[in-house]
Amino acid sequence: MNTCNHKWSMTNIRNGYLVVEGCHRCKARTSFFSLETVPPIDDYQEGQHFWTYLGSFQAVKFDLSCSQCSKVVSLDDMMGLMLSTCRAPDCEVARLSAEGGKGTWVYVALCADSTHNSGKCVSDAGIQALTEYFNANLKDPGKRIVVVPCRMCKSIDTCEGIVIADAGLTDIY
Amino acid sequence: MKLSELAEKTGLKSLNEFKDLEIEGVYISDMVSDIITGATANGLLVTLQTHKSLIAAANLVDVAAVVFVRGKKPADDVIQLATKAGIGLFVIDIDTWSFAMKLSELGIK
Repeated sequence: MNTCNHKWSMTNIRNGYLVVEGCHRCKARTSFFSLETVPPIDDYQEGQHFWTYLGSFQAVKFDLSCSQCSKVVSLDDMMGLMLSTCRAPDCEVARLSAEGGKGTWVYVALCADSTHNSGKCVSDAGIQALTEYFNANLKDPGKRIVVVPCRMCKSIDTCEGIVIADAGLTDIY
Repeated sequence: MKLSELAEKTGLKSLNEFKDLEIEGVYISDMVSDIITGATANGLLVTLQTHKSLIAAANLVDVAAVVFVRGKKPADDVIQLATKAGIGLFVIDIDTWSFAMKLSELGIK
């Protein structure tokens, strides 16, 4: 049993692109992080899916490491964070936000597969480490950050929120 | 230096109510994903970016205030979200470099 009172800091910070793809057959969305100078745009088949490039934007990825016990939690399975503004009555994330009250901010950790058909999402260890990391660095005593995995959303494709993403930053209007 | 003093000395125009916190650092970035890895609690964030996702990022790391340079003014819903999060918003007409020079001259790093 690990009794370390973790002191997390960011590690393995890397800059790249978040590439978003869609399957035109089942309308699923997937995403991956690319470290390439130019993000890949090729279409390809993977099992029943036919993935087509939908877009990409600059992104930063990181892992968390504990300075006390040297444990490193990989966040490779997290593609981004979204501040939840969901108010759907049957959504667990919306319920958490409502119950938390003023000063509680719920952030959804987004995994690569919006369908969750694979059963995978952001790991429990990642969610716990993210929650501990962000709360440990707050200075406002009235503020609390709650990080939850996107599998908790009723439907990640319709859940309302503000995604922390640099989409459109390089567009010319 | 307190936020109110900084605003007065640099000519910042306030866009909402703000907590008059002691500024503990400065981070300059126009990438919202980068803000999470660089900005710190009770710090000042200087940016050109007025998108709502900037406030979502600034709130996550407990930034005290955001300064929009070159006179960029965010939309009303962005200001409302920042106010709810207790983040002060300011605007200044000069560019990022000129504002950074002002901060440096005041000894803020």
